[in-house]
Amino acid sequence: MTADFAFKSLLLLPVIAFPFIYLIGRASVRLSTRNTGTQRNPAKWIALFVMLLLVMPLVIVVKQFTAQGPFSTFIGSIELKMDGVGILMSIVVVLMSLAVVLFSDHYMSHEVGEEKYYALLVCMTGMVMGMVTSTDLFNLWVWFEAMAITPYILVAFYHDRAPALEAGVKYLFQSAAGTMLVLFGIILVFMHTGSLCLGGSCAIEIPKEPALVVAGLLFITGFGVKAALVPMHTWLPDAHSQAPSGVSAILSGVVIEAALIAMIRALDMISPVFTNAGTFLIILSVGNIILGNLLALRQTQVKRMLAFSSISHMGYIVLGIGITMSYGLINGAQGSFFHIVTHALMKGLSFMIVGALMHAYGNSKGDAHAPLEISDLNGVASRFPGLAFALSIGLLSLAGIPPLAGFMSKWQIFVAGFETGNPAMIGVVIFAALNSVLSLAYYAPLINRMYRQKPTPYLAKAGRIAFSMNMVFFALGILIIVVGVMPGTWNWLTNPAAQIIQKAFWGG
Amino acid sequence: MTLTFPDLVLIAVMALFGIGLYALLTIRNLIRIIVALQVLVKGVILLIILAGYLTNQIGMAQSMALTVIVADTIVAVLGMALAVQIMRKKKSLDTSDIAELKR
Amino acid sequence: MDAIFSYLVSSTIGLPWLGSLVLVILARANEKTQHWIAFLFSLLSTICAISLISFNGPAAVIFPGGGVFGDISLMADGLGIMLSVIATGIGCISILFSTAYMKGEKQLSRYYSLMLFFIGAMVGLVLSSNLFYTFVFWEITAVCSYALISFYNDDPKAVRGGMKAFIITQLGGVGLLVGSLILYGTLHTLHIPTIMLKLTNIPPGVLSLAGFGFLIAAVAKSAQVPLHTWLPDAMEAPTPISALIHAATMVNAGVYLLARFYPAFYTVPGWKDAIIMIGAITAILSAIMAATAYDLKRVLAYSTISQLAYMVYAVGVGDIFASQFHLLSHALFKALLFLAAGAVIHSIGTRDMRLMGGLGRKMPFVRSMFIIGALGLAGIPFFNGFWSKDAILAAGFSHGPMWAYLIMLITTGITAYYTTRCVWMVFLGEPRTEIHPHPVSPVMKASLFILSIGTLTSWGMGGRLAEFFEHSLPFHHFHPLSIAERFAEVFTFPMTYGTLLVIATGMVVYLYIKRVRGVVHDFRGIIQFAENGLGFDALNAVVSQVTIYTAEALRYTQTGVLNWNIFGMLLGMIAMLGLIEMGGL
Repeated sequence: MTADFAFKSLLLLPVIAFPFIYLIGRASVRLSTRNTGTQRNPAKWIALFVMLLLVMPLVIVVKQFTAQGPFSTFIGSIELKMDGVGILMSIVVVLMSLAVVLFSDHYMSHEVGEEKYYALLVCMTGMVMGMVTSTDLFNLWVWFEAMAITPYILVAFYHDRAPALEAGVKYLFQSAAGTMLVLFGIILVFMHTGSLCLGGSCAIEIPKEPALVVAGLLFITGFGVKAALVPMHTWLPDAHSQAPSGVSAILSGVVIEAALIAMIRALDMISPVFTNAGTFLIILSVGNIILGNLLALRQTQVKRMLAFSSISHMGYIVLGIGITMSYGLINGAQGSFFHIVTHALMKGLSFMIVGALMHAYGNSKGDAHAPLEISDLNGVASRFPGLAFALSIGLLSLAGIPPLAGFMSKWQIFVAGFETGNPAMIGVVIFAALNSVLSLAYYAPLINRMYRQKPTPYLAKAGRIAFSMNMVFFALGILIIVVGVMPGTWNWLTNPAAQIIQKAFWGG
Repeated sequence: MTLTFPDLVLIAVMALFGIGLYALLTIRNLIRIIVALQVLVKGVILLIILAGYLTNQIGMAQSMALTVIVADTIVAVLGMALAVQIMRKKKSLDTSDIAELKR
Repeated sequence: MDAIFSYLVSSTIGLPWLGSLVLVILARANEKTQHWIAFLFSLLSTICAISLISFNGPAAVIFPGGGVFGDISLMADGLGIMLSVIATGIGCISILFSTAYMKGEKQLSRYYSLMLFFIGAMVGLVLSSNLFYTFVFWEITAVCSYALISFYNDDPKAVRGGMKAFIITQLGGVGLLVGSLILYGTLHTLHIPTIMLKLTNIPPGVLSLAGFGFLIAAVAKSAQVPLHTWLPDAMEAPTPISALIHAATMVNAGVYLLARFYPAFYTVPGWKDAIIMIGAITAILSAIMAATAYDLKRVLAYSTISQLAYMVYAVGVGDIFASQFHLLSHALFKALLFLAAGAVIHSIGTRDMRLMGGLGRKMPFVRSMFIIGALGLAGIPFFNGFWSKDAILAAGFSHGPMWAYLIMLITTGITAYYTTRCVWMVFLGEPRTEIHPHPVSPVMKASLFILSIGTLTSWGMGGRLAEFFEHSLPFHHFHPLSIAERFAEVFTFPMTYGTLLVIATGMVVYLYIKRVRGVVHDFRGIIQFAENGLGFDALNAVVSQVTIYTAEALRYTQTGVLNWNIFGMLLGMIAMLGLIEMGGL
C-alpha cells in the first residue's frame, strides 16, 4: 500500500463505511426481530472491524511521515496535507475511537439505535482526521461543520430522556451560532485577500485591514464555542454529562481539542495582521482554568464534574499554545500537544469508568442512565478493586500528580511559561500551578469515597463489569503510567506538531 | 456621501446578522430560534456572494454558498427534530422551561 | 564497582516498590502472609541502603530521559544516604510494629503497599540529583501520606485530615515547582550538581525567586508556621504511619531540601534571616501548643513541629551538619515515642491523656521505652537529643542573632516542660480512670527496643557522619569534628550549662505548677487559645470557606438557559473587541 493510498483510505474509509454500518445494522435488527424474535445487531462488529482496519493505513502514514516529513494527497481537487498536527490528532482520534468502540460493546448493547451510535462514531473519526489535514479555510469549515453535526445527534442519543434532549438542543444552537460567526470571519478573510489558502502553501499578500482583526476575533469566538473557551463554554457541562459515556470520552478527549486546532489553523492565515492572537488565548486560558476548577468544586454528579474539569484542562492546552504564539517558544505548543494526548487518555479513562459504573448500577437502580452521584462511589473498591484503582490513576493524573502522564504535559507547558522570562507570564504559570492544587479538592474526595469501607446500598446488587471494558481500562491505565514514567519518548510525536505552530506564527 | 452597491449589500448583511443575533438573544421559542439562525445564515450567504463579486471569483463563491446552504439545512433539520422531541417530552418550547441542567 | 552501586541504588528504591506491587496483587492473600511480605521487602531495602554507606563520595546512576524532563539520575552522597538509611530503617521497624498493631484490620494490602511505596519514594527523593525527579518523588510522598492519613476512610476526621495535608503540602509543592522551573528556564538544566557549578550565571532576581520558592516548599512539607496546621490533623493516621511519615521521614524532606540547596541560596538577601525567623517562631509557638494539648498524639505532633524548627533554624544559622545530626537523633527518638504511644493507644483504646495516668505500673516496658525517648527529646545529657540540640544552640549562639538564640533556649525549657507533663500524665501519678490495658505483644516490644538502643547510642556516630558529609558534599564546606573534639567543645562551652539549667527549670516548673492550680486558672484564656491552635486553624477555615463560597456563587453563571449561553458567547466577542479598541492590545 503506498503512502498516498493509505492517506486517502484513512480519510475515506470511515466516510464510506458509516452508511453501511447504519444500514446493515438496521436491516439486521428488523430481520432478526421479525424472524427469530431476538435482536441481532452486527453494527458493533463492523465498526470494530473498520476501526481496526484504520490502524493499518495510519501506521503506514505515520511511517511515511517520520521518514520524509509532511506530504499531501488530493481527493478530487481538494488538497489534504498530513503534517505534524495531523499525525498527532489522527493517532489520538483513532486510538480513542478504538477504545470507545471496544468499551461500547457491552455498554451500548441492546440500546435502541445502537447502529446509529456506531455509524456516527466512525463518521466522526473520519471527519476529525479530515479537518486536521485540510489546507483550505473553507474546506476546514466544511469538515468542521461535518465533525460538529455527529456529536449533536450523539449527545441527544437517549432521545427519550428529557435532560439528554435539553443538552443536545443547547449544544446544537450555541454551536450553530458559533459556526456562523466562524463563517463570517472566513468570508471576511476571503473578501480582503481573495484566497483561502492555509498553512502558507500559496504565497499571498495579507493586507493590513482592520476587518481581518475582526475576522480573527470571530475565529476565536466561533471556534471557541466548540473548544469550550470561557465564556463560550456554557454548553459543555450539559452535553458532556448527558451523552453516553463513550461519547463523553471522545467529546472531551478529542473533539474540543480538534476545534482548537481548527482555530489555530485559521488564525495562522491572518497571523501577520492579527498579532495579538496569542495574548488573547492566554487571557482566555486563565479564565478557563479558574472557572472550570471552581465550578467543578461543588458538583454532585461525577460526569458533570469531569465535564467542568475538561474546561479547566482546555485552559492548560490553550495556555501552552498561546505561549508559543506570543513568544515563539517551542515548549509551549509541544506541552499543549502532549497535554492533548495525555488528557485524551486520562479523561477518556475516567469517563468510561464512570460509564461502566453507571451501567453496573443499572441493575440495582433500575435505570441504566441514572446519573452517577458522587455518593454512589462509596466503597466501590471493595467490589471492583481494579476499577477503583484505574479510576484513581485517571483522577490523580487529571489532578497533575507525578509521576502520572497529566503532570508531565503540564510541566512542559509550565517550562515554556518560565522560559519567556516575562514576569506576567511567570505569574500566569504560578496561577495555573496553584489551580492544579485547587483541582485536588474535587478529585481527591472521589478517590476517598471509593476506598471507604461502608458501601452504598446499590453496590451489592450491581452488575458485573464486562471483560472488554476491563481490557480498555487496563490498557489506558497502563498507558497513563508508561507515558508518565517515560515522558521523553513522546517527543517524536509532539515536536513536529509544535514546530508547525512555531513556524506558522514565527516563520520558523 | 454616496453609497455604492457593495456598501448597500454590506449594510443588508449587517442588518440580517444583527437581527439574527438580537433574535437569538431575546426570543425564547425554539422554533423561532431556528428561524433566527436562518436569518443569520442568510446574512452570511449574502456576504459570500458579495465577497465573490468583489474578488472576481463569483463561481467559487456560488459553490461555497451552496455548500453552506446544505450544511445549514442539515443543522436546521436536526434542530427541528430535537424541538419536536422536546415538545413531546416537555409540552413546551420555551427556553426557560428547558433549563433543568444548570449550575 | 559502579555496576554494584547502581544495582544497590536501584534496589533501594525498587525493592519497596516491588513489594508494594506484590501486595497489591496479593490483596486477597491471608493476613499473616501480607504482614511478613511487607516486612521482608522493607528489611531487604534497609540492607541495601546500609550497604550504600560503603560508597564514600558522590557516585551517580543515570537513566536516559529526555528534553525538558532531564535524565533520571540518582546520586548517593552523605545527605542522601543518611536520609535513605533513616527512611528504610525506620520504615522497616514501623512495618515490624504494624504486624502487631494492624492485626485484624481490613484492607491491609492497601496499608502496606502504600507504606512500601512511600519508603521507595522517600529514598528516591533524597537520592535524586535531578530537580524534576526530586519534585516527582516529593509529590509521590505527599500522595502516600494523604492516602495513609485517610486510611480509615469512614472516619470523616481522617478524611479531612488527609485532604488538608495533601492540599497544604501541594501548595508548598508549587514553591518547589516554581523554583525548579525558574532554574531550568535560566540554566536549561535540572541536574543539581551542574546547577551548583553554574550558580554565578544566575541573575540575583531568579536566584531569590527560586530560593524563596524552595523555602515555601520546605515550610509546607516540614510543617513550619504558618503552614503547619496539617501535621496535628494528620494524627488520624494509624500510629506506625505517624511514626514513619509524620515524625521520622517525610516531614524531614523540607529540611533536607534547605540543607541540600544551602550552598546555592545562602547569598540570597534575606533568605537566611527568613529561615531563622520561621524556625524560631515555629519552635516556640508549637512548643506552647504541645504544652497545652491533651491528645497524646497531638502533643507528639506539635513537638515534632518544634523539633523540625530547630533543624530549620540550624540551616538558617549555617550549620548544616548540626541540622542533619539533629534530624538523625529526632528520627530515632520521635519514632520511639510515637511507637510507644501507639503501644499505649493500642492497648487502652484512647488517645486522651486525661483518661490515662499510672499506666507505668501496668506496662513497665513501654514506660521505660517512652521515658528513654522523652529524655532524648528533652535534651538530657548522654541521650542523642542532647548532643544534636546542643550543637544547634552552639551554632545559633555564635553565628545567629541573639533574639533567635534566646527564643530557642526558652523553647528547650518548654520542651522539657511538656515532655515531663506528657510522661507524668500517661505513665506516672494516680490512675484517673479504670483502665484494663491489653498486654503489649513481643513484636511491638522488640521494635521499641531497637529504637531505644538507637536513641542511646546514635550520637556516637557524629564524628563519622561529619567526615562522611565532608567527603561527599563538595559544595557545603564542612569542618568535621571528631567525637572527642565535640565532647571537649560541648563541655567547655559555657552556654551548655545554661541550657541544662533551662531544661531542669522546665521540668521542675511542671511538677510545681501541678500544685498551684491558681496559676493555671489565671492563664486560662491563653491556654484555651493555644489549645485551639493559636488561631491558625481558623485562618485555614476562612480560606477554604471563601473558596467554597466563591465557587457556589459562580455556579449561578451556569444558568442553563439557551439565550444566556448565546449571550455569553457574544460577551466574549465584545470583550475582546473592547480590549482591541481601548488599544490595550
